[in-house]
Amino acid sequence: MNYFFNIKNELFDSEIQIPTFQNNGVTSKTINLYKCWPKNDCWIIEKIEKIEEAPEFYYINCNKNTNNEIYFLAHPEELFNYDKLKLKNFNNFTDTSPSYRANLKIFMHENAGFSSYQSEYPYSMISKKGTILSSVCSLGNKNADKNFIFIKNIYEKPIIDYFDAYLVNIKTKHIEEKFQIKTNYTNCIELDRELIKPEIFLVTKDYLGIPIYASVKNQHLSFEHTHPPHEYIFSENKFTKVAELKREINEIIS
Amino acid sequence: MKSLVKNITLSSIGITLRNSLKFRPVPISTRTFEASSISDAFAWRTDNNFTTIFKYSDILNIFYKVKDSWIEIHFFSKENKLIKKKKYYNLDLSNEIEINSDYLNGIESYGVFYIHHFSEENIEEDVLISNRCYIGYSHNQNLYSFVHGNTLAKSTKISYDGKIKSNLVKTSLFKNNHYRIQKYFGGFDKNELFFSNPTTKIIKFSLDNNHYILNAGCSKLIDIGVKKTITIISNCLFLRPTVFSYKNNYLDVHHS
Repeated sequence: MNYFFNIKNELFDSEIQIPTFQNNGVTSKTINLYKCWPKNDCWIIEKIEKIEEAPEFYYINCNKNTNNEIYFLAHPEELFNYDKLKLKNFNNFTDTSPSYRANLKIFMHENAGFSSYQSEYPYSMISKKGTILSSVCSLGNKNADKNFIFIKNIYEKPIIDYFDAYLVNIKTKHIEEKFQIKTNYTNCIELDRELIKPEIFLVTKDYLGIPIYASVKNQHLSFEHTHPPHEYIFSENKFTKVAELKREINEIIS
Repeated sequence: MKSLVKNITLSSIGITLRNSLKFRPVPISTRTFEASSISDAFAWRTDNNFTTIFKYSDILNIFYKVKDSWIEIHFFSKENKLIKKKKYYNLDLSNEIEINSDYLNGIESYGVFYIHHFSEENIEEDVLISNRCYIGYSHNQNLYSFVHGNTLAKSTKISYDGKIKSNLVKTSLFKNNHYRIQKYFGGFDKNELFFSNPTTKIIKFSLDNNHYILNAGCSKLIDIGVKKTITIISNCLFLRPTVFSYKNNYLDVHHS
């Protein structure tokens, strides 16, 4: 199962399209979209209505700060055991190969540039803690006017917990910048152009998340996520190798 | 007996039969050489005032502390003709290459390329790496719009023996695979789909009532106009095109 989210900061609005069909063509006419958000240590839930013009998609426009909201597809009967204290794996509708795509598009305003990426947040990440490791140079663009990294975290419990994100130089083993971000939120940090270098990595302590890079120049946009490190290794020892690398970097931030 | 059956069902013929009968289909198999690297089929564009930028990491250094690794990139035309091979040594942790028509011997067209990682060092036998990389597309010299690789295509031994293994993506004898792109294409001025054939087989596919053939390694850019949704019917179990959507001189590129 996947959860979905949107993005809003001082420059960008966003729109997410969530299809009610799978990529093998199977459509569900009874599946609904729900949004939830953490409040007073509970997950508040609300059903979202579909618009008529595109009956096979849910659209969510985000022009105000809803960075704490998340969305999921479920049949009404799957919510009978809804737990306001913990997010659940309600169904496997979005567990497909190729991966299910919800299109998250950012834009500056209606007549300016736009860019989108496949924005699912897998349930398997929601129940785990861990660290992000992302090469800033992979998607940062030195020629852009501005670069941002959005760090989306979704954690199963409806808590707002503050944790640290770092930009670390793995050659000099030096912390270049430190940011405080929070759980169950689409965090945003602006990336200093001088730090877009091969040896600079984004690292977090305590919680997982998805790093998504946005660049802007003359109202043209680019928006894409980096892969978690274990996706570069297919062999059985991949988690050992990634753990070794993370241990090395964690020594810098400890 | 069990292992014989397993070997048959995992053989090339066995997988094709499974995919044809839709019995436990296998879209992708990464059973490959020992100690190898897998490349996606990355799309390059120098047509129509496009340039492409390719960003890749030195994975062998980052994860295996291999200091002498190098890469080789093989560029192919849309008809699968080899345009050039280029080697890069002394890699940084993250690297980039700008691909324009000058870089590709004056060619203004499109096609695919593959990245292969090599090292002289003795690497653990079961190492299998895949560099998904990031490709940016700039139209009319505007900001690059980035997307990651999305079709595993070829593998090579890290120890460099010159052999290349294909057919990681699997096919069927019939056009029985339906893939409906989960995007609403309405509202754009134009949408293009970039298809590449990551196999050595012929891929036949249809978009609505239009029929196409992609020979081994070939690629095709298809203008789908302003259709609202697209279903691809093909004999390939992982035919996932890259999408180029245009509106008011702005461009959005992503995988489908």
